[in-house]
Amino acid sequence: MNSFLKLMSAAILAGASLPAIAHAQSHGGAIDVATIGEPPTLDPMTSTADLVGIITQHMFETLYTFDGNWAVAPLLAADLPEISEDGLTYTIALRDGVTFHDGSAMTSEDVVASLERWLRIASRGLQTAEVVESVAAIDDLTVEITLSTPYAPLLSLLSLNNSAAIVIPAEIAGNDVMEDYIGTGPYQLGERRPDQFIQLTRFEDYASREEDASGYGGGRAQYLDEIRFVPVPDANTRIEGAVAGQFDYVDSIPVEAYDRIESGQTEPVMLAPFGWPVFVMNTAEGVMADLTTRKAVQAGLAPHDMLLAAFGSEEFFAAEAPMYPDSYVWHTEAGIEPYNPSGDMERAASLLAESEYDGSPVRILTSRQYEFHYTMAQVAEAYLEAAGFDVQLDVVEWATLTQRRTDPALWDIYITHSPFLPEPSLTGIMSDTSPGWWVSDAKHAALGAFNAEADPDRRVELWSAVQEVIYEEVPAFKVGNFNAVAAQSSNLEGMNPAPWPYFWNAYLAE
Amino acid sequence: MLRAAFNRLVGMLTVMAIVVTIVFIIVRVTPGDPAAVMLGPDATAADVQALRQRLGLDGTIFQQFVAYIGGILRGDLGQSIFLGQPVTTALWMRAEPTFFLTLFSLGIATIIALPIGIASAYWRGSLFDQAMTAIAMFAASVPSFWLGLIFIQVFAVQFGWFPTSGYGGPYTGFVERLHHLVLPAATLGIVSSALIMRFTRASMLDVLNDDYVRTARSKGMTEWRVVVKHALKNALIPILTVVGLTAALLISGAIVTETVFALPGVGNLIVSAVLRRDYPVIQGALLIVAGLYVLINFLIDMLYLLVDPRVRY
Repeated sequence: MNSFLKLMSAAILAGASLPAIAHAQSHGGAIDVATIGEPPTLDPMTSTADLVGIITQHMFETLYTFDGNWAVAPLLAADLPEISEDGLTYTIALRDGVTFHDGSAMTSEDVVASLERWLRIASRGLQTAEVVESVAAIDDLTVEITLSTPYAPLLSLLSLNNSAAIVIPAEIAGNDVMEDYIGTGPYQLGERRPDQFIQLTRFEDYASREEDASGYGGGRAQYLDEIRFVPVPDANTRIEGAVAGQFDYVDSIPVEAYDRIESGQTEPVMLAPFGWPVFVMNTAEGVMADLTTRKAVQAGLAPHDMLLAAFGSEEFFAAEAPMYPDSYVWHTEAGIEPYNPSGDMERAASLLAESEYDGSPVRILTSRQYEFHYTMAQVAEAYLEAAGFDVQLDVVEWATLTQRRTDPALWDIYITHSPFLPEPSLTGIMSDTSPGWWVSDAKHAALGAFNAEADPDRRVELWSAVQEVIYEEVPAFKVGNFNAVAAQSSNLEGMNPAPWPYFWNAYLAE
Repeated sequence: MLRAAFNRLVGMLTVMAIVVTIVFIIVRVTPGDPAAVMLGPDATAADVQALRQRLGLDGTIFQQFVAYIGGILRGDLGQSIFLGQPVTTALWMRAEPTFFLTLFSLGIATIIALPIGIASAYWRGSLFDQAMTAIAMFAASVPSFWLGLIFIQVFAVQFGWFPTSGYGGPYTGFVERLHHLVLPAATLGIVSSALIMRFTRASMLDVLNDDYVRTARSKGMTEWRVVVKHALKNALIPILTVVGLTAALLISGAIVTETVFALPGVGNLIVSAVLRRDYPVIQGALLIVAGLYVLINFLIDMLYLLVDPRVRY
């Protein structure tokens, strides 16, 4: 990692763990936040989309969340849970005095109904339901979750803001389709005019935690009267809106516009690193089902060139192999030897000769929804053809890609990206059923041990073994790390760069 | 006249039936799945299938078509998969910006095109005529998204006269909302003016050499009266046709402009519905747009009868 990125990461971490903002900040005012579009839903249980999480995290809350160090912190729960020695029973005490936006008090009955809904309809909930035996109310303010087998990712799953285990009133949780958006968050839904704005207003009866703010955890001050999320789907229009100073915050700006933003009326904000682009291999069918062929792809790709083409300048990326950057506790260099920033064409050609590859086209499925996916695909095509592959780029739009990738007969590699999720086992390739369908004894042994271990230090050690298997079996090729750019008015203070920006604790300077 | 109207009406209904069927088939055979889009990038195939069942998308295309036609006959265009509201409500909520955008654009296009077209015909072959022809060609070939971005950079960012995008917030009044429409309407109007201008010029050229124009001049009538009262009046039919067609084209042209300027209109709704595969919204919106197109053509046909008594259908 170059010194610039290190500095940025350090700054972000320092910022994210700052104590609560002094209570002399100005109250009042409204902010306009430009987003990448209209969210597909305002029910964060039913979607893993980042945009849904960004908006709804102000309206709904979960039992737990993540602090400035990405450790699980209590939110609606009074404290971290009591976990039985066998790791099967989680006893969760709830905070007293929490009220919903409709004025009713939150009780264990609401939490149980909400968790049951989550286990019934949410992607991450359905995944968790396989190990959950029961969810029960012990008393008005205590809930008990019983598992059939120890499952360490549970708390992280209960903390995420997408496909989120939000707590809503029991009567609303009884329906699979949400019609009333009643949560416990610091802001409540005011008015929604689709494609025009989503207005959130301050919830006057909000019960904030009393600890200092840290990341998404701790106290949540409600300085702003209103937060308005305004969809601006065209990236160029978002850039111009930022330059003109029309918005207080502009999310997701193409990195190449960094200098233009700097010359305008808002300031660029860089989250470094934000996430990782990934080439997911189809291990179930087709040419990539052969491990040696996948290893040839791994050797033949030149991630530095791919990232440079996609992001333009080394300020915005790092060609790094570890699944997590060094600012995360999960960072390890175990098993990364096969990753070569410049590629190793000789090794790729030799592996290809040993492999079962029969000259069939390698179908790379990608879209231009994210231009950097497409650019990386073009560079990858050149390198793989130089190594001896026949490559076919299948460029479709995003909705087609999300459907096609579920059919193993239609693709060999597909391109996507992900933020660095606080819990590694939530990454797509860890699930046997997610597109790519990576299933192996070595994976199950390493991941099973990692998921069953409750001790955080021991889990960090066990994660190294999982990363080693990823590099050994190549279910996916992590290209590197990339940064995200947003723009923020100089008038808006109290913000910390975050993958899902939040506006509690933010205020307008007088 | 009544018989002509009836014949035209039967034709309209036939066209609409064809549109409904074709749109339904195209939307369903296009790859992509609203359930996959709604669930987000980390959903598994099993989750997508479960949601498809909940949304009623797991029936055969024929079953869905029968249900859709049944709904249309009852005046029900269905329920948006993503917005959780009836398609008719979603369209109605977006009617205002699209209506005023179309109206403004048409006004701007006509105000620019008519005088220039008339003047070009009057001074045909002159430097002015050649310059206007070149400008019209340029305006016709400029992509509206590019012109829109240039306008944003100049008039919103540099001069700060207009907002870069959007249609205002919860407390924005009607006049301020119209202020948000100036740049998109200018973009759409300028691009559309080329066609009207060329048609006006051609139509005026046809009539300016006619005998009755020469007669009017020989009577000593002023040039202004000759051109406006005699020539223009007779040149109006083709101009009226192209203005009507432009109005219909503007409704579909608004799709790109509304996306660039993030206007919450029907065009923007269609784009987001296509990207998300919100089938009922795509079908409903295209049905309405096609209906408007057909209706405008019908009204133009009826106007011919009023403007020119010689017209017979």
